[in-house]
Amino acid sequence: MTVASYCSTSCGTPLFVHVLGAMLLDGTLSTVLLLAIVGIRRPQPVFDRATFVVLLAGTLPSWLAMRLGGQWLVSKEHLQHLDATWLNMGFNVGDGGLIVLLVTTGLAYWATRRPGGGWPTRAVALLSALYLVALAVTWFAMAAKWG
Amino acid sequence: MSTYQWLLALHVTGAFFLVGGSTMAGILNVVALRRDRPSEAASLLGLVRFAVPFIGIGALLTLVLGLWLVHDRDYSYGAFWVWAAVVLWVIGMALGGRGGRRQEKARELATRLAGEGDKPDDELRTVLHDRAGIAMSYGAGAAFLLVLVLMVWKPGS
Repeated sequence: MTVASYCSTSCGTPLFVHVLGAMLLDGTLSTVLLLAIVGIRRPQPVFDRATFVVLLAGTLPSWLAMRLGGQWLVSKEHLQHLDATWLNMGFNVGDGGLIVLLVTTGLAYWATRRPGGGWPTRAVALLSALYLVALAVTWFAMAAKWG
Repeated sequence: MSTYQWLLALHVTGAFFLVGGSTMAGILNVVALRRDRPSEAASLLGLVRFAVPFIGIGALLTLVLGLWLVHDRDYSYGAFWVWAAVVLWVIGMALGGRGGRRQEKARELATRLAGEGDKPDDELRTVLHDRAGIAMSYGAGAAFLLVLVLMVWKPGS
């Protein structure tokens, strides 16, 4: 069984939405991590505010596109009953990611109210770093079709 | 994992680095455009340097491993989606590089103005909103988006 058998060119739009959403999720979350780290080292309101805005206007919509595209793909390719490591990782990291991102966004908002690089900013940096690692392992597993 | 699985996973990783790094650079530029104080614009534009290595590594991985995958899967190098993707990759890199150089000049001006009183400045505003530079950056983004379209639909395969 080749990897392409799961998703050939017939996947079309849902695959495009899923992959583009995942790539933008990676890019926006990397930006959040960078801004949060700089906000800890050089406490300025501009970094706290930018962190919150990027999470709200970039990361959460990207997550939504990634997750909806993924669900659309599962439905279109009839993968609902496939018990594969790569697919389960996608579901777990995708769904669990929403909770992580909502908590991170809440903490980033808190940081804008109490600027100065305190613990909310540190927590934003930690959570976004952890979720980025999980995303990287997942995209690798999904591309290679582990299991 | 087979050779094909390694190649595909690393090729996709390269694409994530390329698009992720480009997204990071784009966001930092957009946020910088909205700042009036030169010191804030300089700080944000200065962070773009952290995106550059990801863009470079991603660009290299996507091109080299992409061409290797074409060979491994017995696709034709003459297929439309393959050569069009290579052309768009070159266009994207060229536009991104030129746009980036213009933004670097804006950062240098913002840094100088930050040391001279850090007051809002019309010249900086003009340089930051330089239409040619912005068009080049958006053009690079559009080229990479089209590459993704070609990779998904593979027209002419």
